[in-house]
Amino acid sequence: MTEMPEESRVDSRITARLCEIVGEKNATDMKHIRYAYSYDLSFVKSKLPDYVVMPTSVEQVQEVMKFANQEKISVTPFTAGTNIGGLCIPENGGILLDMKRMNNIIRIDEESHYAIIEPGVSHAKFASALAKYNLRFSWPVGPPSASTSSCAISHGIGGLSARYGLNSEEITSMEVVLPTGELVRVGSCAIQEDAWHSCLPLPRMDGLFTGWLGTSGVITKLGLRVHPTPPILKVFTTSAQNIGHMASYLRTLGNYEICDDLTGVSWWLSQVPIPYPYKPKPSDAPEWISFATTFSWTEKEREAREEIWRMVMDEETKKGSSLKETEYPEEALRARTQLPSQIVGSTKNYTKQGGAGISWPGTFTPLNKWEPVYEGWKKILIERNLSPAVRVTNYRGVHYGMLRAMIPFPKKEPATIENARQDIVECLKIDLDNGGIPYKPPVDFGVEINKRAHPGYVELLKKTKQMLDPNDIMNTGKLAL
Amino acid sequence: MKWDIPSLEELEDAVWKCTACGNCKVAYDFGPPPTYGEICPAGVEYGFDGNMASKGKIAFARGILDGQLEWNQDFVDDIYKCTICGGCQNQCELDHKPVIPEIIEAMRRKAVEDGVGPMPTQKVIAQSMRSYNNPYQGPRRVRTDWTRPFKKAKTPIKNIMKKDAPILFFVGCTGAFNLPVRNFPVATASIFQKLGLDFGILGENEICCGSTAMRLGDVDEFKRVAETNMKTFKDLRDNHGVETIVTSCAGCFRAMKKDYSLSDEYEDHMGGLKIIHTMDFLFNYFKEGKMKFTKELPWKVTYHDPCHTGRHLIDYDVDEDGSKQWKGSYLGKNEDNCLYDIPREMIKAIPGIDFKEMERIRSNSYCCGGGGGVMTGYGDWAVKNAGLRVQEALDTGAEQMVSICPFCHFNLNEGSKRIKSKMKVYDLVELIDMVL
Repeated sequence: MTEMPEESRVDSRITARLCEIVGEKNATDMKHIRYAYSYDLSFVKSKLPDYVVMPTSVEQVQEVMKFANQEKISVTPFTAGTNIGGLCIPENGGILLDMKRMNNIIRIDEESHYAIIEPGVSHAKFASALAKYNLRFSWPVGPPSASTSSCAISHGIGGLSARYGLNSEEITSMEVVLPTGELVRVGSCAIQEDAWHSCLPLPRMDGLFTGWLGTSGVITKLGLRVHPTPPILKVFTTSAQNIGHMASYLRTLGNYEICDDLTGVSWWLSQVPIPYPYKPKPSDAPEWISFATTFSWTEKEREAREEIWRMVMDEETKKGSSLKETEYPEEALRARTQLPSQIVGSTKNYTKQGGAGISWPGTFTPLNKWEPVYEGWKKILIERNLSPAVRVTNYRGVHYGMLRAMIPFPKKEPATIENARQDIVECLKIDLDNGGIPYKPPVDFGVEINKRAHPGYVELLKKTKQMLDPNDIMNTGKLAL
Repeated sequence: MKWDIPSLEELEDAVWKCTACGNCKVAYDFGPPPTYGEICPAGVEYGFDGNMASKGKIAFARGILDGQLEWNQDFVDDIYKCTICGGCQNQCELDHKPVIPEIIEAMRRKAVEDGVGPMPTQKVIAQSMRSYNNPYQGPRRVRTDWTRPFKKAKTPIKNIMKKDAPILFFVGCTGAFNLPVRNFPVATASIFQKLGLDFGILGENEICCGSTAMRLGDVDEFKRVAETNMKTFKDLRDNHGVETIVTSCAGCFRAMKKDYSLSDEYEDHMGGLKIIHTMDFLFNYFKEGKMKFTKELPWKVTYHDPCHTGRHLIDYDVDEDGSKQWKGSYLGKNEDNCLYDIPREMIKAIPGIDFKEMERIRSNSYCCGGGGGVMTGYGDWAVKNAGLRVQEALDTGAEQMVSICPFCHFNLNEGSKRIKSKMKVYDLVELIDMVL
C-alpha cells in the first residue's frame, strides 16, 4: 500500500468560480477525480490536489491564474504526468491545472523547420503530424502520450540529443501566462506576433521558464525546432567489459559528432525488462553495451560515417580496450531507436518485472566522471538488491553527458518503495560529489542540491521566483528553497 | 454451476502492476510512418485523467482497494462512463494488460454488490432482464416479429425446439427487439436460406445471452441467463442434433465464447458445440466457392471493427506457473480469433465495392461509444461519440459504413444522424444478402 494522500481543503466557493471560468465539465473537486492525479510512477508520496481544472484557451488560463493569485491558491500545471520525479504531484494541494485540452499543433513550418504547439500536444500526435513533412523531433524514451512541450521545458532529452543537445535547446519562442495572470512572450514572437523562429538574438528569457523544478509560468504556446529525417538509418552497436572502456569509446566517437544518439547502457538496462530484484549478469555477457544512431542522406554518407566509426573502434582497440562490435538485444534496440516507442512508453522495458514503480537518479554528469559514479552506484544498488540498470549518453558531441539509473520497484509495499527512495538519495549524493547535477528530481533532492549551491545562485533563484510569482502559488514547495 | 468471476480484491495484484505511465491514453504505432489517434471515448468526452483509459480506471480501483475512495453518486457515475472497449488495453504492455476490462467490470460488480450500481437508467435493463429475459423490455411474443416476412413468403424459419437442425441461429435481443437494426437477422436468415442451410431458431424461447448484465456488473443476472442458456444449448446438442451455434450479434458471440467459459461446467454444457459469428461462418462457404456474389454494389464502403469481434477476442499468453518469465507475467497476444481480415475480404470481394480504410482500425479501432452499458446509461454521449467515428469514416470518402455488430450498427446510425451526415450504416450481412 502507498501512504495515504493527505486530505484536502476543498472550498465549494472556489470550485464554483473555477467552473465559471472553464465551464462545469472542466473543473471539479470530486475526490475520485483528484485521486487519479495524486500519484505517479515515482516513489514520491501521494498528495491530493484540491481542484482539477482543464482550461481550453489562453484566456481561461489567465483567468484561472489571476483568480489563484488573488486567492493565493497553489497551482500545479500538468500535461500527462509521466515524469518519474513526482513533478506534477501537488506538494501543497491547490489547483491541478490539466492542460491536455489545449492540444493543437498550430503550425508546422516545413521551410524554416520549426513548429508551434500547445502544451497538450503529445509526442504521438506531433510525430504523426511531422512525419507528413518528413520532419522529426528529438523524441524521448517516454510514453508516446506524454507532452512534447513539457519534455522541452524541463530539459528533457531524446533521440537527437547527441547532435542537438537538450530539447530545451530546441525552443524557438514561447507564450506564457505568468503566475499573476499576465500574458507574456519571449523569443521572436515577442517582437513580431507571427514570428516563432528563434529565441536569439534576444536575451534568453526563455530561461525564466525552463528547467525549474516545477514550472514558473504556464506555457500556452511553444515554438520548437524540428529536423528533416534522412532516409538511411545505421546503428553501430558495441560492447565493453567495463564502464571505463565504454566511456572512453563514447568520448572518442563523440568527438566526431556523427551520431544523433550516442548511448551506453549496462547489461541490466539492455534487458527488457530490467531484472527485479537484482540478478547477476551472465559471466560471459559484457557489462556494457552501446548503440550509436546515425542517419544519412546517401549511401556514401553512411559509408563515411561507418569509416569514422571503424576508425574509432581501431583507435580504442589499440588502447587495449575490451570494445567489440556486437548485437544489441533486438527488442531493446527497437525500444531505443524507434521513437516514440510503446515499449519504453508502456514502461515494459523498465518496470514490468518490478511492478508499478519506477524512479531514478537522473543526472547531468561530465563524461570523465561516469566511471567513478557508476562504480559507486553499482555497489549501492546491488547492496539494496536492485539492478544497476544505468545509462550514459553524450549530449552535443562530448560537451556534457547524462548518467542515470532506472530503478523499478513494487509499489504495493512501503518497504520496497522506501528501499528505492533511499537508494536514489545515496546515488545522487555520489553524483553531486563528482560534479554532477540531478535533473527533474523530487523535492527532497532539490533541497540537497540547494544546500550545496553557491549562496548567490540560491539568492538569485529566490529573487527571480519572487519577481515572477510574488505569492508563491506556482508549484508551491517544488523549488526546495 | 460454479463461476470463476474474480472480485476486485482478487485482482488487487494486477491493479498494482499499473505504473500510471499513461501509454494507454492514445493509440500510437511507430510505423513508419507513425500513426496516432485518440483511443478512449470516455477520455475524449470527459477528459480528466480518472476518466481516461485504463490509467484512470485503475486509479479508481486502487483508490477503492486503498480505502481512499468511497462510493458516492459521482464516483459510481464515472465508473460506468466507460465503454469497456479495450482500446486502452491494446496499448498496455504490462502484466495487468490481460485483465484490464475485468478490473473495470470487477469495480462495477462491487458497486452492484454494495447496492450503488448500476446507474439509474441502466437499472431499467436489470429490471427488464428479470421481467422479460431481455434488456429491451420486449414481450416474449415480439421476439419473432422479424420472422414474419419469411412466413409470408412461405419460407418459415424452423423452431429448433420443435424441429431438429444442426445449426442454431442465435438471434440476440438487439436484432429481435431493436427496430432500426432488425434487418440484420432478416438478412442473416435470408442468406442461410439462399445457401440452403438446415437451421433453426429458438424463437420465443430465446433469452438474453447476459452480455449486457455482465458488462454492467450484474453478475447474478448474468449467471441466471447464462446458466439457462447453457442448459438449453446442452439439450440442443444432446437431443436436437445441434452442432453449431451461429450468431450475428457480436455481444452474444463474445458472451458465449468468453464469459460462459468462466463456468466450471462449460465443457460439459458447451463441449462439442461450435460457437461462431455469422461472418466467420459465412466465410467458410465463401472460401469453398459455395457462396458467390453475383450482383454489383457500386458503393464506397469503409469498415468499422467492433470491439466485441476484435480486441475482445484477443488471446493473451500469460506465464501461469512462472516457467517462462515469472508467475503472472504477460508474454504476448494472439489475434488469430479476431475478426479483422474476414469481413474486409468479404467486402472487397463484392463486385463494384470501392473499399476505404479509416485510420483507426483493427486492434486500434475507435469504439462506436455504445458498449459497456453506455448506450443505455449515457445515450447522448454514446451518439455524440458515434458521430466522431462516422466523421472519421466520412473523411475517407466512404459513403457507406459497414460493421458486424448490431450495437455499433444502431449507434453509428444515430451518430450519423446527429452530425447530419448522409453516411448510411449497414451490417455486412445486409450487403451479402443484396448480392447473393
